[in-house]
Amino acid sequence: MFKNLTIGQHYPVDSPIHNLDPRLKIIFTIIFIISLFLIESFIGFLIVIVFLTVVITISRVPVKFVIKGLRPILFIILVTFIINLLMTPGRVVLTLGFIKITEEGLRQAGFMAVRLILLIMGTSLLTLTTSPIILTDGIESLLKPFTKFGLPAHELAMMMTIALRFIPTLMEETEKIMKAQKSRGADFESGNIISRAKNLVPLLVPLFISAFRRADELAMAMEARCYRGGENRTRMRQMKISKGDYAAAFVFTVYFAAIIVFKIW
Amino acid sequence: MNEYIIKIDNVKFKYEKNSDYAVKGVSLNIKEGEFTAIIGHNGSGKSTLAKLINSILLPSEGRIFVKGMDTSDDTKLWNIRQTAGMVFQNPDNQLVATIVEEDIAFGPENLGIEPEEIRKRVDDSLNTVGMYEFRKRPPHLLSGGQKQRIAIAGILALNSDCIILDEPTAMLDPSGRKEVMETLKKLNAEGKTILLITHYMDEAVQADRVIVMDKGNIKLDGTPKEVFRNIDEIKKYGLDVPQVTELTQELIKEGLNLPSDIIEVKELVDILCQ
Repeated sequence: MFKNLTIGQHYPVDSPIHNLDPRLKIIFTIIFIISLFLIESFIGFLIVIVFLTVVITISRVPVKFVIKGLRPILFIILVTFIINLLMTPGRVVLTLGFIKITEEGLRQAGFMAVRLILLIMGTSLLTLTTSPIILTDGIESLLKPFTKFGLPAHELAMMMTIALRFIPTLMEETEKIMKAQKSRGADFESGNIISRAKNLVPLLVPLFISAFRRADELAMAMEARCYRGGENRTRMRQMKISKGDYAAAFVFTVYFAAIIVFKIW
Repeated sequence: MNEYIIKIDNVKFKYEKNSDYAVKGVSLNIKEGEFTAIIGHNGSGKSTLAKLINSILLPSEGRIFVKGMDTSDDTKLWNIRQTAGMVFQNPDNQLVATIVEEDIAFGPENLGIEPEEIRKRVDDSLNTVGMYEFRKRPPHLLSGGQKQRIAIAGILALNSDCIILDEPTAMLDPSGRKEVMETLKKLNAEGKTILLITHYMDEAVQADRVIVMDKGNIKLDGTPKEVFRNIDEIKKYGLDVPQVTELTQELIKEGLNLPSDIIEVKELVDILCQ
């Protein structure tokens, strides 16, 4: 049931995009999001679409995969579209009873929908081309300057790593407890939402108890392996900016410059 | 003096102030390069003793020295844990990272070792336990025996002289147990001191020295042959002896002329087939 669950939907192939420095990819993604909100014309979106198509092609991730990431937020896109369509005042082009559709509404709704779709596609490309552990390393490295202001960068990264490590283990355990409780007559499938939620109690209680015990044992094992926080800790995998990263940074700068130019124009 | 890698000097330990002693005055010296098995019933204090050696717990009374370092000495804590590495029972709860090689690097990374040296240690440790081709795998997709071998490799990467294992095979299937035992024997042959806590007699038989604990005390201590001939005493502590030893004793009772210290099937077969 849970065996095939992948986290962050990493698509592991070898491509120039996969091999980029994770820090660079995170920064690109943030700037990409900003660029989407700067755009005010359809020509601007055309640039984004061309750019995104090129990046997806280079990344060797099937387009199908990237589009699949849209499915969970399809509802949100739809709602945003409808609200924008109906709520924007302006020149009426169509009247259906009390519903008035304006030209500005159509424009605004189209903008928002395209913007959201591109936003999800662009950001999911980050998780598709970066393994969770490398992503964590990148986040830790990027947050490091903020440790001066009391941000626990190393601790946050360690928490993410451990969470990633234990998600499959706890999934397996959930399945095991479910089977055990079912064999004792527990019912997880029928009834309304409230009774279903109530039925989850015999699943959650053992799961939590075991998770706490695991945490306790893991802490002991980590201490036994000389873990004492982030200070003086080294990493086996070093992040290095390579030639490919410079090339990517150049291409991305050109893209962002184009967006800015079109905005001012 | 340094011949003994672990010196335990009349150690007592209790978990809470008003509780009973879990370890009641244990003295024990372990030689460098020795393969020692500690067996005992649940609650005999064997796991507590392991945690005392690794400085996870501190003795209530008495002292423990690991390579001459007192485990109560705060400044030596990390040296002690590096010298006497510990492998725990549950393979899932001691692997930290999402990729095998990252997990093995965890220990050396904590020690602040240079990246190239870590890389070398990780590769060496993986080769020693025979898991090199699994280095890029996520640990949750490995078998129990493989996970324990990864845990052992994680300790090897710390360059520990001594490896303490707290019932490493308790949650494994027979083939996983065999994998772990073979790895331990190989490491011992390479000069590592092994302290194996177990409740499987067939594992204890393979050690150089067997220590039987009961209710916080050491009851028997000697080579497997010396220890397992005391069938009645061992059974009194809620433990079993290897089946072949028990069979031999029954045969002796029936009047057969056999030596009383047979612990391996092959020995008995050889004698009976003469």
